[in-house]
This record gives sequence, C-alpha cells and structure tokens, in this order.
Amino acid sequence: MKNIQKVILFTVVAAALFVSIAGCAPSPATPIEPPSSITIVIPEDPPNFNPILNDTGYDGLVMEMTSMGLTDIDADGKVFPELAAELPTTENDGVQVGDSGAMEVTWKLRQDVKWADGTPFSADDVIFTYQAITNPDTGSWFQGVDYLSDVEKVDQYTVKFFYSSVYTGYLTQFGGEQMSIWPAHFCKPEQGFVNWDCNRNPLSLGPYTLKEWVEGDHMIFERNPNYYQAGKPEIDTIIVKIVPDDTVRKQMMLNGDADIDMWVKEVVIEDLKKSDKVKVSITEAPRWVMRIFMNQSQRGETSFGMPHPLFSNVLVRRAIRQAIDVDTLTKGIFLGYAQPVWTEFFREPYVCNIPRPTYDPESAKALLEEAGWQDTNGDGIRECHNCGTAEDGYVMEIEFGTYAEFGESMTLAQQLVSEQLKVIGIKTNITQTEGSVLWADSQSGGIEQSGNYDMDMWDDGYAGVDPTDFLWEYYSVEAATPDYGYNFVRWNSPAFNDLLGLSYTLDETVRKDLFCQMAKILDEQVPQILLFTIVNADAYSARLDGVHSNANDLVTWNVADWKIVK
Amino acid sequence: MSSFILRRLIQTLLLLFLLSIVLFALVNLAPGGPMVGLGQNRRVRPEQLEMMRRQFGLDQPLPVQYIVWLAGNDWMQVDSDGDGLPDQPGQRLGVLRGDFGTSINTRQPVLSEISQRLPNTIYLMGITIILAILIAIPIGILSATRQYSRIDIALTTFSFAGQAIPEFWLGLVLIIIFYAWLKNPFTGDPLFPAGGMYSLAGSSSLTDRLWHLILPVITGALGWISWYSRFIRASLLDVIHADYLRTARAKGLSERIVLFKHALRNALVPLITMLALDLPTIFSGAIFVELLFAWPGMGRLYYQAASARDYPVLMAVLMIGATFIILSNLLADIVYAYLDPRVRYE
Repeated sequence: MKNIQKVILFTVVAAALFVSIAGCAPSPATPIEPPSSITIVIPEDPPNFNPILNDTGYDGLVMEMTSMGLTDIDADGKVFPELAAELPTTENDGVQVGDSGAMEVTWKLRQDVKWADGTPFSADDVIFTYQAITNPDTGSWFQGVDYLSDVEKVDQYTVKFFYSSVYTGYLTQFGGEQMSIWPAHFCKPEQGFVNWDCNRNPLSLGPYTLKEWVEGDHMIFERNPNYYQAGKPEIDTIIVKIVPDDTVRKQMMLNGDADIDMWVKEVVIEDLKKSDKVKVSITEAPRWVMRIFMNQSQRGETSFGMPHPLFSNVLVRRAIRQAIDVDTLTKGIFLGYAQPVWTEFFREPYVCNIPRPTYDPESAKALLEEAGWQDTNGDGIRECHNCGTAEDGYVMEIEFGTYAEFGESMTLAQQLVSEQLKVIGIKTNITQTEGSVLWADSQSGGIEQSGNYDMDMWDDGYAGVDPTDFLWEYYSVEAATPDYGYNFVRWNSPAFNDLLGLSYTLDETVRKDLFCQMAKILDEQVPQILLFTIVNADAYSARLDGVHSNANDLVTWNVADWKIVK
Repeated sequence: MSSFILRRLIQTLLLLFLLSIVLFALVNLAPGGPMVGLGQNRRVRPEQLEMMRRQFGLDQPLPVQYIVWLAGNDWMQVDSDGDGLPDQPGQRLGVLRGDFGTSINTRQPVLSEISQRLPNTIYLMGITIILAILIAIPIGILSATRQYSRIDIALTTFSFAGQAIPEFWLGLVLIIIFYAWLKNPFTGDPLFPAGGMYSLAGSSSLTDRLWHLILPVITGALGWISWYSRFIRASLLDVIHADYLRTARAKGLSERIVLFKHALRNALVPLITMLALDLPTIFSGAIFVELLFAWPGMGRLYYQAASARDYPVLMAVLMIGATFIILSNLLADIVYAYLDPRVRYE
C-alpha cells in the first residue's frame, strides 16, 4: 500500500516537473491565424533561396515563391517570359548573329514590376546579377557562362548580352528552375554572390515574401502586396513545414494537415489515390530517364586508350541492352508510372524515329558469343575466349552500382537487372553508394569522375527544350576530362562530336536534322542504355486548384495561380 | 577533492585537444566532400570547385585547415583571389576564440545554427529522461521487492520488450495509431499531432506544447524506462539480502524504513553514476525521434550535416558532444565520491 502511495507521489512530481519544464521551453514564433493558408511539407530545410549554390530542390521550391528570372519553363517544356516583356528571337530581332559568329541577345524587360519594398525593378538589377555571379572570387559557375562575354544597359528597361559564339540555351540562362534576378539596391555585392545575406533573407519580387523562418521547423510566406499581377496570388499565407519522414508526410496529406507534398514516389501515389482528399499531379512530359552507364575505360583510368575488358566492345553493350526487360521494370517495380524510353530524343520538339530495341536474351547471348565471351566451364558465367579486350579466361564479372538515396524501387530495379544479366552469363556484384560520393569531383574521391566503377545505373535529364548542353555534358569528348562533364563512360565518337559542334546554331530545321543523326549514332554505339522515364509527381489537397506538376521546375512554379476551391 | 577536480579539468582540456585532432582527421577522411550537392542535377566546373574550396579554406593542406579551425586565420595572410599569393588577412577567429566557422550548406555561422537547435533538444530530452527515471524507479522497486511474482514477471517482460523495440518503429506505430487512426469523437481531429513542437495556427499554449510532447516523449522514454528499471531491480536485489539489512530488520525497523532508508539509498548510488554518464544525450539528441516527429533538434542537425559533408557543423556538433561526454564522466566521478564515502580520489 505504501508503495502505491509512493508511486502516486512520484507520478505527481513527474507531472509537475513535466509542466514546469514545458513552461520554460524556448518560446515559439508569433502565432498566426491567417484568412487563407495552405501548408507545404518538405523533408528538409532549403539551404537558402539561391538554387545555383546547392540545388537540393527545396531551395528551388522557395525561390519560385519569392523570385523571378527573365524566363521560366512550363510543364510542357515551353519557355515563357517572366521579367522579360517578350522572348528575344531572331524573328523579333532580339537575337542577332554577326559574321564572326558572335551573338547578341537583347532583352526587353517588364516595366510594371516592383520589389516588395516598392523599388521598381529595372535593367540595373539584371546587370547587377550578371556582375555578381560572374565575379571570379565570389561568383558561381552557371550554364553557358563560358559563352558570355559582356553585358550592356541599353536603357532603363533594355539589356543586351554579348556571346562569343552562338549559345542555344540563352533563353533560360537567366531564368528557369535555378536562376533568378537579385535586387541591386538590397543585396550587398561586397558579401559576394555565394555568401550574401539576401540568399537567406531575400527581397521578394515574386508572389510571396518570406515572413518567418524557424530552422528545422517551418517557414511562413505571405502574399506580396506589390506583386505585378493584379489580384494574384489568391492564397494569403503559405506555410512550409519541415517533416523529414515520408510516411508522416503522407499521413499529414491524408489527414488534411498538409496541402502539398512534392516529389511523391510510385507507392505513395498508389496510397494517396485511394483518398478523396488528395490528388496527385503527374507531369505529362517527363524529364528524368533511368539509364545505365558502362565504363569503356579500365577501372581507375580516366583517359582513353585503356579499354575496359567488357564494355569497350560495343557488342557487349548491345547484348546488355537486349538482356534487360524494361517492361517488367516499369510495370512491376515502378507500378506503370514509368514509360519505356530508348533515345535521348523522345521529347518535343526533337523527336527522332529510332526503333525500340527488343528484349531478347537469346540474341543477347548470341552477341556475347560473337564478341568472344563463352561459358566453357559450365558455371553459368562467361569467360573471355579470344574476346580481344581481355586475357583468355577473364571472367565476365562486374560491379553494378547506384546511389542509395533513391529508395526501394531502385534497389529492386538493380536486383532485377542483375538477375537478367545473369541469365546471359554476366555476373554482377551489386553496390549502393551515397550520391555525394558517387558524383563527387575526382579530387574529393568521386567514384565516377575517377573512373572507379564498371557499370552504374541512375536517372538524369535536362530541363526545358534545349538538349545541347546536356548532350555536351554526357557525350562530348571534352566532357570526358575528369570533373569537366559527365562523359565518365569515356566514349569518343568523332562523328558525334562534329554533329554536336554544328548543332550550336539557331536554325531549327538544321538542328532537328542534326539531332536525329546523333540519335542514330547513340543507338548504334550505345554509350548509355536508356531504360525508362521516372515519374515526376506532386501530391496536393483536393481543396486546391491550379497545382500543376512540372518536371522542368518545382511544383511552386505557378504558385501565384493556385486557388482554394472549398 | 578540489585538487582532483582541477587535475581532471586540465586532463579534460588535453583530451579535448587530442580528440579534436582525431575528429578533424576522421571527418575529412570520409569519402565525398562538401563541394558536391545532393542532386545529380548540379553542374559544377573545376574552376568553380577551386573557387569554392578557396572561399571555405578547403584548398589548404589538412594541418593548416586544422590550425585555422582552432586558432583562426586573422593573424596570417590568405590568398583570396586564387593567384597563389597571400594578399589579405583571413577573417576567422578559430574555435579557441569561440568561432566555429561558417556552415558550408547554409553559409550561416555554425554557432547560430547550433543555438537554434540546442534548446529544443534539451527541452525534449530533458523531459524524456526525467520522466523515464521517475517511472523507472517505482517499477524497479516493485519488481525487486516482489521478485518472481506475477507483477515482476509482467514488468520484466515489459522491460525486455521496451529495450527490444526500436525507436523508429515505435514512433511510426504511435503516429499511425494516434494520428492517423484514432480521432477525437467530438471534433473529429486526430488525438495527437503528427509532429513539431507546437501548432502554427492557433495558440501555442502550454496545453498545445504538452500535446506535442506526448508521443515523442513516450517513444524516447520507453527504452530508458526499461533499461533503468532493470538496473534498479538488479541493484536493489544486490543489497536487499545484505547483512546490514538483516541487522536493520533485527533492530525491529519497519520494512518500509528498511527498504527506503537503507536499501534504496545504497541501491541508487550506481544509478546516479549511470545517469551522469547518460547526460550527454540531453544535448546530442535522439536522431530517430527528431526525424520522425519533425523535432528541430541537434540530432537532425547532425544527420543533415553528415549527409551534406558540412565539415564545420559536423565538427562543432561532435566537439560539443565530446565535451559533454567528458564533463559528465567527471561529474559521475565526483558524484560517486560524494555519495559513497569509501571512494576517495586523492
């Protein structure tokens, strides 16, 4: 009995302590009771509002709410003007190419845009941004910077950029998912583009302004009363809550406590579809393509001329392509949300007619036999017999890697591909590495950049409509130099390089023709095996209208158009 | 005693210094680096990498980086424009002068990052541990005094289960039951919130804060309760049959006085030592509880810094953790000497 009294006493003391400690807890931010408010849940804090620096996706998400670039890309991949009054083209004389091949782009800017403090936006801000980002000590690299030579202020609302040669990606160079224009009167140039305070405390130009940021917990955005589109945005407050766990975010969507969960995975889509409270927006024009990279140089070699025992032979690469059953991957593992893809040129406006490779393990085996790989000892794994790329008896065994962060579907896909390769007599040892190690630069010990791999699988794709930079990064011979690009399969095709060089032109008919010639070479030479597109999907509450997933940008790309319907 | 404490404090400083060298080397030896983003979409050129390395002082040899971390670089000339020639004094003061550097991920001073997270962790973990002990002690006593009774068997089973259940699983199950399944029959709202420290909309009253504490505290406390109650049971059983207790009973003291005045006092001495050793957790946080319940604490800061290879933040969190571990060891020794007259450190 006495013990029970003690237990009760302890409980009372515990409760008292509990309450007293809870009372002295760090005080929260000002509570708010907004007229209309929605909640976006993301797993981690954005590092800042400047996606050029870290590009975690969450920085882009918040940047799209507060900032604008000269242009942006819509869900169909079409470029549209934001701060620009119109898109400069050769037709409207916005783009001029001189006899020397040098290019000039003249941007006419909107005259009705104001920063959140009331200061008008002008050409000075564009020039300020250009100068800050190209500062050799405190600036940052961005796409196409090598082609830019100078900038000139024509008048208060006109800017002219000078390029040393034709750069086809000029339209999105100061816009899109990463670039925005920074306020000349607010950001301090002496702090430098990468470090300045306005990266974390931006002056808004977009539909929302940042009101509060409690790190690790939440951010509060309020509508910008100076936003240039009258009557927009309709929603007064957007709360960004940091919720690290996937399952918890899904439950919050189902419970109606969250309105947006970006980048939802296939299994989550299936779960959310069962609820009438949640909708899922899936991008019709996908961007990310799952692909297999086969190292054509020996492990640890970053130069040409040291051929890989397996993959330097194109027959082996083709055999692997035929051994993989893409339909089983897309339907069985990616639940039908993935679409088979076999060429880089599957997106408008550059669609090339390349016949789909057949899934045919028997002809894959025949290709390996032809390449000089046979299984003579009956262990199911082939060895080299006059294969020409390795010593006789060399066993067909490779490491097959990917990055760990993608999640379960990647693990399953990797296992399935591994089994399918075993069927044709190739043994694979599966590995998974953190992305930060797999993709790091060679100095930091990056696995791919230092050539320390045999075969890898992961996803990538380009934003927008211009594939030129992307093709250069993955397939050009210059991009095979460690850290300069992603041609870490060390593929060298002079014919492809010539076509790529010619594609830096503004003549669309010529470009279309060149791209389809490239598509043919890529199909024959198989520097990468393209498998399928990865779904780009964002979940949103059924009470919202106007949410439209965009593979070229973050879900908040059109946040000013969102409405609460009930 | 005071000379012992002084000696130990000097040893602590030496130990921290050596430890900082080891940690600095280990953090830098891990594969990958802070210069790579998390997404493959990131395109960085060697020129920019070189620029960024220079901006963060990562271009220097490791021993130099360590010295800058420790003692700053405002007393020496650094190369700020990458021409290979030192041109201006550095800006860092070094850890010895309270400057833990700048986070590579957020470009914010490391100390301001930590000062935002530390109070939240102390708040959650402090309550968790206090509650765990307050519950564990009666359970331990009950188990020991009724050894092999039904209640002992039940509590023992509970303890083993409590120790065996992983936090991330328990937390998720609690969220699914109390947030997703069970609803308040009057309002239709979930019984408990899914996470966070307080509600954003509405008032963040004391009730609201307690509301947000319950699930994470249960998740975090269960393991501690099981562990401490087992410990108290064992240590009480050790003394319960001791000769001096037989003497006490022979004197005619009531069982209550025997138990609480004689047995428990001796049985709790090792518990206090253990508690002192567990104190650092209050500052370092619990990664799984913080991740599941969206609690903005030190555990998550550490996790994020580790995955982004944010060396300055990693070093600061590790060094703070190490300092607390060493200090609580010292505290354990002092408390032990104070409680047990047989222990002398002279």
